[in-house]
Amino acid sequence: MAVGTHDGEPVMEAAAGLDDLARVAGAIRRAVESVVEGKASAVRLALTVLLAEGHLLIEDVPGVGKTLLAKALARSVDCSVRRVQFTPDLLPSDITGVSAYDQELREFEFKPGPVFANIVVGDEINRASPKTQSALLECMEERQVTVDGTTYPLEPPFMVVATQNPVEMEGTYPLPEAQRDRFTARISMGYPDPAAELEMLDVHGGRSPLDGLAPVADAADVRRLISVVRGTHVAPSVRQYAIDLVTATRNHPDLRLGASPRATLHLVRAARAYAALDERDYVLPDDLQDLAVPVLAHRLLPTAEARMERRRPEHVVADLVKRLPVPAAGK
Amino acid sequence: MRIRMTVTAVLATLAGSAGLHPLFTSGRWFWAVLGAVPCAAAGGLLMRRLRFSAAIGAAGGLAALLLYLTAVFAHAQALLWVVPTPGSLRHLVALGSDGWRAVNQYAAPVPLVHGITLLVAAGVGLVAVLVDLLAVRLRRAALAGLPLLAMYSVPAAVREEGVSWLAFGAGALGFLMLLTSDAREQVGGWGRAVFAPRFGGDVPLAGADEPRPGDRVPAGALAASGRRIGAAAVAIAVLVPLALPGLHPNGVFGRDDAGGGSRTVTTPDPLVSLKRELTRPDDSVVLTYRTSDAQPDYLRLYALDRFDGDRWTYDPLRSTPRDKITKAPLPAPPGMTLVPTRTVRTRVSVRPEVRRMTFLPVPYAPARVTVSGDWRVHPESLMVYSLRDSAGGRAYTVDSVRPEPTAADLSVGGALPADIVGRYTAYPKNVPAIVRNLADRVTAGATSSYQQAVRLQRWFTETGGFTYDLSAPPPQHGSDLLAFLVKNRRGYCEQFAASMALMARILGIPARVAMGYTPGTEEDGRWVVRSRDAHAWPELYFPGAGWIRFEPTPSGIAGQGTAVPPVYTARTDPGADDPSGSRTTVEEPSAGDEPTSTPSGSASGRRDLLDSPENTREENGRGVPAGWIGLGVLVLLLLAAPTVVRVLIRRRRWAAAEPPPEPRPGPVPTPREPTPGAAHTAWRELRADALDHGLPWLPNESPRATARRLTETLELPSPAREALGRIAMAEELARYSRSGVRVPRGALRADVRTVRAAFAAAVPRRTRWRARVLPPSALETARDSARASARELGRELARRGLRTPSGRVPERLAALTASAREAAHRARNRFRT
Repeated sequence: MAVGTHDGEPVMEAAAGLDDLARVAGAIRRAVESVVEGKASAVRLALTVLLAEGHLLIEDVPGVGKTLLAKALARSVDCSVRRVQFTPDLLPSDITGVSAYDQELREFEFKPGPVFANIVVGDEINRASPKTQSALLECMEERQVTVDGTTYPLEPPFMVVATQNPVEMEGTYPLPEAQRDRFTARISMGYPDPAAELEMLDVHGGRSPLDGLAPVADAADVRRLISVVRGTHVAPSVRQYAIDLVTATRNHPDLRLGASPRATLHLVRAARAYAALDERDYVLPDDLQDLAVPVLAHRLLPTAEARMERRRPEHVVADLVKRLPVPAAGK
Repeated sequence: MRIRMTVTAVLATLAGSAGLHPLFTSGRWFWAVLGAVPCAAAGGLLMRRLRFSAAIGAAGGLAALLLYLTAVFAHAQALLWVVPTPGSLRHLVALGSDGWRAVNQYAAPVPLVHGITLLVAAGVGLVAVLVDLLAVRLRRAALAGLPLLAMYSVPAAVREEGVSWLAFGAGALGFLMLLTSDAREQVGGWGRAVFAPRFGGDVPLAGADEPRPGDRVPAGALAASGRRIGAAAVAIAVLVPLALPGLHPNGVFGRDDAGGGSRTVTTPDPLVSLKRELTRPDDSVVLTYRTSDAQPDYLRLYALDRFDGDRWTYDPLRSTPRDKITKAPLPAPPGMTLVPTRTVRTRVSVRPEVRRMTFLPVPYAPARVTVSGDWRVHPESLMVYSLRDSAGGRAYTVDSVRPEPTAADLSVGGALPADIVGRYTAYPKNVPAIVRNLADRVTAGATSSYQQAVRLQRWFTETGGFTYDLSAPPPQHGSDLLAFLVKNRRGYCEQFAASMALMARILGIPARVAMGYTPGTEEDGRWVVRSRDAHAWPELYFPGAGWIRFEPTPSGIAGQGTAVPPVYTARTDPGADDPSGSRTTVEEPSAGDEPTSTPSGSASGRRDLLDSPENTREENGRGVPAGWIGLGVLVLLLLAAPTVVRVLIRRRRWAAAEPPPEPRPGPVPTPREPTPGAAHTAWRELRADALDHGLPWLPNESPRATARRLTETLELPSPAREALGRIAMAEELARYSRSGVRVPRGALRADVRTVRAAFAAAVPRRTRWRARVLPPSALETARDSARASARELGRELARRGLRTPSGRVPERLAALTASAREAAHRARNRFRT
């Protein structure tokens, strides 16, 4: 288990509105992209989830930069950051914290776990036992920790960035549906293209790229941006479109389990952030279309038939997006 | 490669060519076609195999056709029997022009000379190349119907009774076969139909639907219903015209005349028939008859009572069941009250080869006709006709009352009945003054109508210097008659009869042109009438005598061979025996001395006629004007309809988007106010334009995505790209943003125009023209509005409390179509597996 903290100066003064958001978000994105090369869409999705007050699951094979992305994001924002390396022997209390008896004060004192941070990086989350994994559940959804009957709130912003290896890898416990549902989006990194890989060798061959990364925003900035994002307009027709999209997953013959109402909520929230990152104060169906696969696919369970025929939920969602008409005028 | 499709195209072309059968006297042409069509198709197939483009494929088909034609028609001049040489090409061209001449000479059915076979083989082969190109290479099986239709329309246009249902059925089935085959290939492109059983271990969780019963759409059943619909359509197309009286001369259900309504009788143009009869290459026997009359009168078919300035025709006959011929006597001949008459009985047998003779040749004036079949009489003219029967092969007996007036009888004069005067002395005002003067001069000094008539007849036959000449072109216009009277004075019975009747009318004598046959020639007590005895003559009305025949056409060897001037026109009247008197009044014609020096004898003159194809061609072109122009205008209107609809829709849309003239100074509009319609209008227009230009419009794309795709795929130039972006942005804001943004309507309209021009420039020319002439969006709008009004109707009926099933039909229909569409969609998805 490794835990790290970063403290720094706030880079920007508070400013309202989209311009501010664009500036701050742009700075964060540039900072992260200077470390994670050639992964603009992944970086943008990570930022979206941050601004949508959600949690991010990064799934891919080892060594493609999952942790690097999580760390870079964490380090770009000057706030409390903890990193938890999940291992099979990790205990729930290693995450939430423990109440220890203080000999001097003769009382139990709560020692906060690594979850008490603005950004929690959970590395290889599916290597821990289900019991430990589920310890994260309450924290992620309720944004609070209950230990020995006492509830401790978590300070906003609170974001869990978890990385996991594909479930087929050795020594993994697949995340339960309930826990997957709590992640706003799942992204995968993919291998970098040859040019980006070459540049990575050139630039970062000698030292860790994270070393040179200075924070460009702080927790207060992020809170402010989140409030801007909340004001993004979602037209009734666009809301209906989101509901249609989610409902379609529930009726699809290839899916055993469709997306939950929480998924709808996450989808619209993420779309708001996505639109705001595009400097728009209204959400487009395009935002929902772009986000449908990352936000919905990891929550869906394919039927055995579909699994045998290798029709993955990602494909199902992409197909639905292609088929569902966007809300037109007059509706 | 599409071999199956190629074979189907060949079969469809061959089936379509079946309709040509009645055009020829023998069926040998089909063997030439049977070779030409597969050859042309094989050429196309070879080019496809070598993966050449469509144009080269068509050229290959043509080349194969040429090889075939060379091998069959010009192998003697060709290299190695098949390779065309200049010599063989010349031979082919010569053969073709021979055929062309023959085609123009003869009326259908034409004798199958070598050249005609070549033309038919080349023509059908050309159709085969086109069908192959459209249906097989370009995969437009429906369009391939056009060349097939062109081939089909040849017999339909040439033969007045149209094409037999059998030929129609063969052609239609061939075309359907082509469509079916094409559709099957297209569906086949999706792969084999797989119907996985839908059960299994999966427990449906929340939200998962039970499989619906409508999930499975058996493709076999679909195909079967398609075939059934096609067969039913052909059957209906064959049967319905039979049931409608106006469409088919021999309506099968038209026999029952108890219906009592009056009908308009349409028959082939008598004058065209006349010329055709006169110029038939074989002087075949039309009818024979025996008569109690020693000197039989003409056999009359038609009485043409109307002169329209160009030609003589008859008013459309209004036929009622009352006119049906029974055993009772026919109506009394008009005006025949005072002159002595003689009743003659004529027993006529019309040869069975005679076709389309829907009028009975009878000696005037028929008093009683005994004939089998449905025959009717026109009471005023005493024409005997049928709506469905032909005289061919019939024998009938006619009792005629033959007037035998003397010159004195006709000179008496008297009051003419008003209706006769009103109807039979009318002539158009545009008849040139020179004709009127001529009539006056020719008849100068005559003291009675009768004398005028006799002088007219004599002027035509003797003193006027007219020449009987069958090669004269048939008079098409009033100017032709003028030329006949004033300039060349050459013509045949039609000109003579038409001119005399017109001049009689000018002089105030009721006149009409009769058509039929001269008495023919007597052979062993039997009179034989041949096709060249066809004749036209004027009938003039005299008080007390009724309609009396005159004969202005020269008779005998230098004229209409069997024409006979009536006895009452012989020179017995004192006013007529001074030919010089009239002669001096008339300008001496330049051709006046020709009649005897160049007698165009009946036989030789008519044979010569065969070498001038122009005659028949002109004849075919006659009768075109009003009807065809009207039809053309109608077709043009129909063709223009989609364009007009499109323009109207565009105007209506923009008019609806018109903002109120002046923003009201009242309360400031709230931000939630509905966004202005201009953006939506612009977007709808853009969509329509895209559809018109064949650009895909995806329902899952938002405005900006659509704009991006169109910009990228079409590589739009910069102004259009910006205009498109502005339209998309306006629509996006109007749809999804909080307040919407008011964009000036005029600017958007200009932008839409810019983008439309860019679309037009970016698509192929064919698509561009389709967008102009046949915009698909207009058709879509029409369909949508029809659907909407059906829904509206259903709602209205339901609102009025009509709970009958009929009230719910539109809704039910809508539900049905929706479920069918869904089922089809599922089936298609299934096909993809």
